Amino acid sequence: MISETLALGRRSLTKWTRNPFAVIVTSLQALFWLALFGNSFNPANALQSNAAGSLGPLQQAFGGAATYITFLTPGVISIVALTGMSFMGVDLVFDRVNGYLDVLRAFPIPRTSIYFGGVIQNVAKGMIAAPITFLIGLVVPDGLRLGQGFGVLNLVGIFATIALLTTVFSTFFTGIAISVKSTDSFFAAVNFLTFPIMFTSTAFFPLSFFPGWLKPIAQVNPISLASDAMRLLVVNGRLSASQTSAFIGDWVGLLAFGMVFALVGILMARSALKAR
Amino acid sequence: MSKIIDAKGLTKTYPSSAKVVDDVSFAVDEGEIFSLLGPNGAGKTTTIRMLTTLTSVTAGEAFVAGRSVQREPGEVRSLIGVVPQEVTLDNELKGIENLLLAAKLQHMPTAEAKERAGELLRLVELEESGGNRVATYSGGMKRRLQLVTALIHQPQVLFLDEPTVGLDIQTRTRIWDYIKRLNREQGLSIFMTTHYLEEADQLSDIVAIMDRGTIRVSGSPSELKANLRGDVLTLSVNGGVDLTELLRSLPNVTEVTRTDGSYRLKLPRVESALPAIITSIASQDLQITETSFSKPTLDQVFLEVTGRSMRDALESNTNGHGDRYASAHASETK
Repeated sequence: MISETLALGRRSLTKWTRNPFAVIVTSLQALFWLALFGNSFNPANALQSNAAGSLGPLQQAFGGAATYITFLTPGVISIVALTGMSFMGVDLVFDRVNGYLDVLRAFPIPRTSIYFGGVIQNVAKGMIAAPITFLIGLVVPDGLRLGQGFGVLNLVGIFATIALLTTVFSTFFTGIAISVKSTDSFFAAVNFLTFPIMFTSTAFFPLSFFPGWLKPIAQVNPISLASDAMRLLVVNGRLSASQTSAFIGDWVGLLAFGMVFALVGILMARSALKAR
Repeated sequence: MSKIIDAKGLTKTYPSSAKVVDDVSFAVDEGEIFSLLGPNGAGKTTTIRMLTTLTSVTAGEAFVAGRSVQREPGEVRSLIGVVPQEVTLDNELKGIENLLLAAKLQHMPTAEAKERAGELLRLVELEESGGNRVATYSGGMKRRLQLVTALIHQPQVLFLDEPTVGLDIQTRTRIWDYIKRLNREQGLSIFMTTHYLEEADQLSDIVAIMDRGTIRVSGSPSELKANLRGDVLTLSVNGGVDLTELLRSLPNVTEVTRTDGSYRLKLPRVESALPAIITSIASQDLQITETSFSKPTLDQVFLEVTGRSMRDALESNTNGHGDRYASAHASETK
């Protein structure tokens, strides 16, 4: 199954290198989130006395981030993963609409390789956006301030976390893409799901800002798990024992989502691709 | 000769419609070109989809290359090549990349795949454009590439669903040539559907006429036409004498009708009967002033077995009469 999955994944990536517009636009979303919303949402705006966008007394509530952009950048990396993965699944919908999926079904390959081919190509494309977002966070005014002791391991941890989150969303949205019959249905489902996922997460504001009834949802939202894990690495440099266990907790949550979504995706793919 | 396809009582019913394919049985011998001829909505595509494992079988059974379509779908898929009705290549990939992807999905080693891809591109005269993106190809080039993409792994049977629909006559003729060559030179067994009478007539060893979900008749094109009891000869003779009885008495003439001084004769083969007809008319000191003859066509065979011509069938199936079949087909191809 692996060689077929890789072959199908490579097909999409080859296409992408010839027409990179969608991926580039997705990656550049981060510029708007950080440069525009990073300024307009910035709680430091209400603290007239704080210079250079410093969060001042709010720093503790924002996980120790010196600036709002420091807090926001991991959230935006996660949001870009969500929006990127949700829309990139459309390739599979087009494959269904133009009959290519039927052609693939006539090959002697496991049906799940079509699903996983979609998953890995989306993850590969999605991973391109993460370093771009990180760099934008560093260069915008009052931007990302890395914690003392930030090193290569932190960077590796950040990209591993984003790879995991991208996989979580890719398994989820590829499952939807392979099941729907038309592009209209796909975009309706994507629009219905992305905004609630985005705004019930801690991508923009810390958990303490949420009303009590929303906190449990925000806490287990995959975007919150990934954002919080990355924030630990960005803000703290070296992690303490309690921070390490918080980081591991976030990862366990993400892995659980990934496994459940992959399982559901496989079932959806099998059902959608079986002969009727 | 062994059977490469064996279908027995093949039936397909969708929950929301009548039987789209109703108790269809046929066999295709190895090395044969077998055509399923019929109007749109006759059940041809559903039949080909059942044989290629893309649609489930409601009742009956089918074997392709000795494997059960229902119980061994994976094995069947590795032994067949499928060319769907619509062009379904990846436009963003190059021609050769489409071939190599198909080879990968057929589990071929890379070196063998590259060699075979080159051979196939040469076969359909695309060796120079194989390195270009398919999006830049003409409709005919895409069809040719699609044809050979299904052949990359040297399948035992090639399934073609309406292989030349929508193509201009030159491209269609070219595709026919490739199909004939594949069959004659490589002994490839071919199962195709078509609603073009000429296509079925020119290419097929066996034609099965399908209408409203059932096969009405099958046989070689010449057998089917011969069963119509032969050619039609039309004669005009000067002199105003009634020659009906004289013509009826001639050997091989099976039917004579006279209309406004001209005679319409039915006979098995016009070429062998013509000398006797000319001689007998000349013996009456009369002269033939006008003559024409027609060979039976598959359209006449279709008319004979279904009670309507192919043209009427095609029109009725697009104007409502065949909606139940058309809608079933549409739901299946979604």
